[in-house]
Amino acid sequence: MTTSQNNDHLAGDFYTQNFAKTAKDGNLILNLGPQHPSTHGVLRVVVELDGEYVMRAEPILGYLHRMHEKMAEVKTAAQFIPNMGRVDYGHALGWNWAFVGAVEKLADIEVPERAEYVRVITCELNRIASHLLWWGAYLLDLGAFTPIMYAFDDREKVLDILQIPTGSRLTYSYFRIGGVAQDLNADCIRLIRAFIPWFRSRLPMYKDLVSDNIILRKRIEGIGVIEPDACRRFGATGPVARGSGINYDVRRATPYSMYPKLDFVVPTSELKDARGRYDVRMIEMEQSLRIIEQALDLMPEGEVLVKGAPKPSWKVPKGEAYFAVEGARGKIGAYVVSDGGKNIYRTKLRAPGFCNLSLFAEVSKGTILADAVAILGSLDLIIPEIDR
Amino acid sequence: MEALFNGLGALYLAKCDAAKTGQVFQAFLPPGSLVRAAERLLQDKYFLEDICAVDCVEGYVVVYHFDHFEAPGRLTLRVLVPHDAPTLPSIASVFDGAEWHERETRDFHGVLFTGNPNFIPLLIDPEMADCFPLRKEEKARAKAKDMLEAGEVIFVSPAFTLMTPEAPTEVKESSGDQPATA
Repeated sequence: MTTSQNNDHLAGDFYTQNFAKTAKDGNLILNLGPQHPSTHGVLRVVVELDGEYVMRAEPILGYLHRMHEKMAEVKTAAQFIPNMGRVDYGHALGWNWAFVGAVEKLADIEVPERAEYVRVITCELNRIASHLLWWGAYLLDLGAFTPIMYAFDDREKVLDILQIPTGSRLTYSYFRIGGVAQDLNADCIRLIRAFIPWFRSRLPMYKDLVSDNIILRKRIEGIGVIEPDACRRFGATGPVARGSGINYDVRRATPYSMYPKLDFVVPTSELKDARGRYDVRMIEMEQSLRIIEQALDLMPEGEVLVKGAPKPSWKVPKGEAYFAVEGARGKIGAYVVSDGGKNIYRTKLRAPGFCNLSLFAEVSKGTILADAVAILGSLDLIIPEIDR
Repeated sequence: MEALFNGLGALYLAKCDAAKTGQVFQAFLPPGSLVRAAERLLQDKYFLEDICAVDCVEGYVVVYHFDHFEAPGRLTLRVLVPHDAPTLPSIASVFDGAEWHERETRDFHGVLFTGNPNFIPLLIDPEMADCFPLRKEEKARAKAKDMLEAGEVIFVSPAFTLMTPEAPTEVKESSGDQPATA
């Protein structure tokens, strides 16, 4: 080693140095990520450790920031739809829906009834796929390797189904302003009908093998307690809020599409901890099956795209509109402000994961590092959605 | 809903049509009463959905969206800040989640929030954090009143002309400034 070696990097980058300023003498500053497997993608968390205990944590964002909101300004409304599949690869159709829903609200476009049902069915299938992805990856984080194999086996079936109408397996761009790109064909409907009893038979096995497993219970029960008041202060929604006993689901709170006609339960848990959030997601998958089943029966024949649906050169009427849907991670919101041009003047995307992750600094305080990772996973983070 | 804003010096209060724009109520506030309004909303158990800015001819309209877990209905707070001095008080001391939303708004539009506990770039690389990608060129800006929903006006301060249609303000005054209290 030569004496001229530059050791500046040991002081850390801008964020580490900023974080270390207020650290207590003798405590260890540790960087988790952005390449660590347990941080799912490219999340980085800087933590201040006193022994094993997390004194302070600060998530650092931006490693996957693509400025979708700027892209919305330079593309026409219809051209922006493919971006939505790339905001959140876990629940791409939820984002599809939030954006086209906002534009439809602004332009007062009515969607054909069949298209509404197709949206419900595909969106719920996508929710199951998203929860399975979370479930498998979360258990992998906690050291259980096998469940992800089962989860991906089931998820594969959902992806095969969604591939038929959407033409893609992950970054769906299927919804259109005024409907959906194409109808569900007979083959697709047959596969969905076969999937429902299959997946229903798998859920009790997951419960016996995994959910009730004592190792998992000891690992996630009682950690990461989030009070309802914290959900309000941080704007947490979705399974994170419902796992804290808040009965809030956009599908019921601000009903949209065909959800008022469908019978399903919004699961909540009074446990408020990682276990509560786990339970809520497991029940939600069952409820999604119920929704799909009913929607298949109620779906009328007809068009799936409104006549005269907007073309790429369509001018978006002046005005503003906010439309929210219930995504797999919580409330997905799209706020659009138009000046009457082809490109939307301002598009704001409200990502549920963004608000849910902002809670992490507060809930991780005082836990041991291994629990902090288990809490992080229980929030169900999809980084591209948070960074947008 | 109006009662929430008693004594806050609100500039503009209006009932909105949720079916059309997704909000049930909106209020334009002076920057000074933002924190007090946030405190009242938290007391009333509202939660913060998001904060964003819209770059208009008149300045940046900073929009705060709130909703309620038990009694859903979006409530929008708006504040107008001038282009040359876009500074607002932070509400992160009331709604902790606002910290990130405010940092994001700084990254995108360059609106500054005094009192934010950790006011460093959030999404944009600190080395190029002063590029403010969503600021618009002067000729690309549109007027706020052409885009934002006017709603059913409950109160409008005579000095506040941002949302008033082209009609001059004195007409508003002579015809009584509280036309709708239904």
